Amino acid sequence: MGFMRGVAAVAAALALASAAEARPSPEEVLQLDTRLALELTRHTPTTSPPVASRAFAYLYVAAYEAVAGGSGDLVSLAGQLDGLEPLPPREAGATYDEGVVLQAALSTAMADLYSHTGPTGQRALTRMAERLADGVADGVPPEVEERSRAQGEAVARHVLAWAEGDGGAVVENMGFPLAWDLPKGDGLWVPTSRIVQQQLPLLPRWGGNRTFAMPDGAACPLPPPPAYSTEPGSAFMAEAEEVLDARRGLTDEQRAIARFWSDDPMLTSTPPGHWIAIAEQVLDAQDADAERRVEVLARLSVAMADAFIGCWHEKFVYNYVRPVTVIKAQLDPTFEPLLITPPFPEYPSGHSTQSAAAAVVLTAMFGEDFAFTDASHEDDGLPARSFPSFEAAAEEAAMSRLYGGIHFRSAIEQGLAQGRCVGAYAVALRTRP
Amino acid sequence: MNRLALIASLLATAAQAEEPLVPSFVEETEASGVASSYDGGWEYMVGGGVAAFDCSGDGFPDLAFAGGESAASLWRNLSAQGGPLRFEKVESGIEMDGVTGTYPLDVDGDGVQDLMLLRQGESVLMRGLGACRFERADESWGFRAPDAWTSAFSATWEDGAEWPTLALGTYIDPKEEFFPWGTCTDNLLFRPEGRRFGGPLPLRPSYCALSMLFSDWDRSGTPALRIANDREYYKGGQEQMWRVPPGAVPSLYTEAEGWKYLRIWGMGIASRDLDGDGYPEYALSSMMDNKLQTLMRAPGDGAAPRPDYSDVAFPKGAIAQRPYTGGDVRPSTGWHVEFADVNNDTRPDLFIAKGNVDEMPDFAAQDPNNLLLLCDDGTFREAGLEAGIASMAVSRGGTLADLNLDGLPDLVVTNRRANAQLWRNATEGAGHWLELRLEQPGPNRDGVGAWIEVRLADGVHSREVTVGGGQAGGSMGWWHMGLGAAEEAEVRVVWPHGEAGEWETVRADGFYVLSPDAAARAWSPG
Repeated sequence: MGFMRGVAAVAAALALASAAEARPSPEEVLQLDTRLALELTRHTPTTSPPVASRAFAYLYVAAYEAVAGGSGDLVSLAGQLDGLEPLPPREAGATYDEGVVLQAALSTAMADLYSHTGPTGQRALTRMAERLADGVADGVPPEVEERSRAQGEAVARHVLAWAEGDGGAVVENMGFPLAWDLPKGDGLWVPTSRIVQQQLPLLPRWGGNRTFAMPDGAACPLPPPPAYSTEPGSAFMAEAEEVLDARRGLTDEQRAIARFWSDDPMLTSTPPGHWIAIAEQVLDAQDADAERRVEVLARLSVAMADAFIGCWHEKFVYNYVRPVTVIKAQLDPTFEPLLITPPFPEYPSGHSTQSAAAAVVLTAMFGEDFAFTDASHEDDGLPARSFPSFEAAAEEAAMSRLYGGIHFRSAIEQGLAQGRCVGAYAVALRTRP
Repeated sequence: MNRLALIASLLATAAQAEEPLVPSFVEETEASGVASSYDGGWEYMVGGGVAAFDCSGDGFPDLAFAGGESAASLWRNLSAQGGPLRFEKVESGIEMDGVTGTYPLDVDGDGVQDLMLLRQGESVLMRGLGACRFERADESWGFRAPDAWTSAFSATWEDGAEWPTLALGTYIDPKEEFFPWGTCTDNLLFRPEGRRFGGPLPLRPSYCALSMLFSDWDRSGTPALRIANDREYYKGGQEQMWRVPPGAVPSLYTEAEGWKYLRIWGMGIASRDLDGDGYPEYALSSMMDNKLQTLMRAPGDGAAPRPDYSDVAFPKGAIAQRPYTGGDVRPSTGWHVEFADVNNDTRPDLFIAKGNVDEMPDFAAQDPNNLLLLCDDGTFREAGLEAGIASMAVSRGGTLADLNLDGLPDLVVTNRRANAQLWRNATEGAGHWLELRLEQPGPNRDGVGAWIEVRLADGVHSREVTVGGGQAGGSMGWWHMGLGAAEEAEVRVVWPHGEAGEWETVRADGFYVLSPDAAARAWSPG
């Protein structure tokens, strides 16, 4: 059973059963809201991969703090994450229902973080919030329910207020600036899309956003990519030829890999959503409790959000040209990459950076050589793929961009290196006493 | 005049020569008497079609509107030839709620247009009784539509069939509250069994169709079924084209055959041969990313083309991605799309109805409809504002039909939760024109699947007679062709499944009924 279909069974039960028969557990609340968040990411045009990573980070920090507030086993991330002040305290000696607290925090956070979603998303958000709120409150004394709901909402509002000041809260025109001075010159990025909106690069200021666990966007710098040169035999041309050769000789397996990790915005839950789905599958397989789930998801999402900030910082340091531009001009005017070339500079590869950061976190949480099977895209007709470790999955995700014709090898290898650097900061967060 | 001034003068003359005549549309909504709104909530965010066809028998196109949550309505055309647009609402039998779209076609070949009503719920096939009266024919014709969110329609007459084959496109499962994404329900093919319909054949996989069009893309005489699918709701989907051999099992064109893996918010389809190569180009409306597809390689040697299309919307200026007036810079949302030569310069122009899905903050709220004039260099030029049709209402369906039979296509646009709008085409100085209606004996009286060809000094201009496409609505009746300066033209019909008639010269600015093995018959109103 695919990942999404497994959660769908829970949703169906929720929809059909009366509240008394289907009081969802905190774990089920997390599962359902995670699935909804993944769908909303896919179906909200503003949630490009960097924006999606930010939404996941704030969503799961809110969930983490909601759970941690009632747990003796989790330590608040306040004071560890940049700018996060201590969360609203609970009333001493008062009773709380943890399911109600968590549901209220998630619903409040999601309504804000996915406020740009369309009518179907808004309808789903509303219905899910109403149904879950009814479900989790079943059998809970009214005063406990009210107190718990208020606590969850307060935690979420605290996190959302913190989010307001990070530089990424307002995304206009789907992240494409209305004015931006494009540096011009050989080897520099030029638009590759025929969409009018995409004639300027996506989110050029994103690298200046406040980070979560790492000090700032420049904390994991990269060496320059190969210098632009059209001389045969130059390092630059060698990398361009490698992409062209890969496209011409693409095997079925390489094509499958490229499609599996394509993770296009508005067509999938994006790269960070893909790794959230991987974590969910592993957590489901382990029947993890709510504390474990929020611990993993908060660390993972924080790492990926930082990865996008660090990656975007470097992208706009180098403003590097995309393979399709070079190959069409220098090697083969008929070249068409397998994947859609993203509308922003090439170096480093965002999927590589964030996948490596994700792998570092998940390896720290689940161990080295943790084999798993990823069925994230079965609903989209892409068969599940199995991996011997998270690192192996990250490396495959990175190479998929070369097979897809949208990245050079340097962007992939240096992206992975940057991601490992970023991920280490999230691993260093203290979540247990 | 010095040499530089002479060159400048010549360049200016050339530029003027290339500039298409900007048409002039006069809004006559209020005076027309038409009051129809496409109403309802989330369940009616798509659809809202309008059909233009003659149900009264006077030759003037009448209008049938989908009403969504409100009742569908039929409006009889009272306009005089060349006069202002006037309509009166008539009780017709189609006044049911839940109607999302309307397409006319003569199912039973009795010379009276019938009406397909797409619905949120059970779609209904209405038999035309004449005098703009209709009765439900689902039971008597064996048409068994499912309870579904029906969103697209097309029809063709398969070779040898007495009745049409109907394709019904469906959307998502409206009962799915939490996760409607990935719940696309089956599209269905209804083939005739004699003079009634057999059980539906599901077209799997189905990917939430918002427009369907049987079109003879390769001029083989056997139309294929193009489907524009909404990527918002499918999983693993893409744009589709089904090969539908007469009476045989349909199959999808594949990437190996040249079909491109294209995922858009497919909203509407329009077809027209724009470049004179005999093969239709396809305009696909979408959100932000409208397409204009042309064959990568149109064979000139009689060989069959591959279904390999290049998107030329951007270089041809037909992309229409964001509002061109009003100051809203967010991307547009395109719905009904239709070609019509609005200035009679022989070149088909492109209309796109625009409007936000429903408070989608990432897309334009002030989203004017487009009127893209085809220039003689093959590019399009936006003229919506100058032409007077730049409505900021939230539009959905539309039709470019000559409502007052003056030789100029008029415009009807439907709107969400607001009255439909009607514009009379009052262009001064437009070119000559022809309006042609097909009439063949026996089944398929209207010649659906035929190609109308008009030969002028600059080549052959052709259009396909289809049922389907657009956004949930279509037209049947007079097929309009602009002639430019030509005062006469040669016309012929390539009848369905390939038999070409003889070329025949007709005078411009008239109406003609074309039948196989018969001279063109002039027609005039009244």
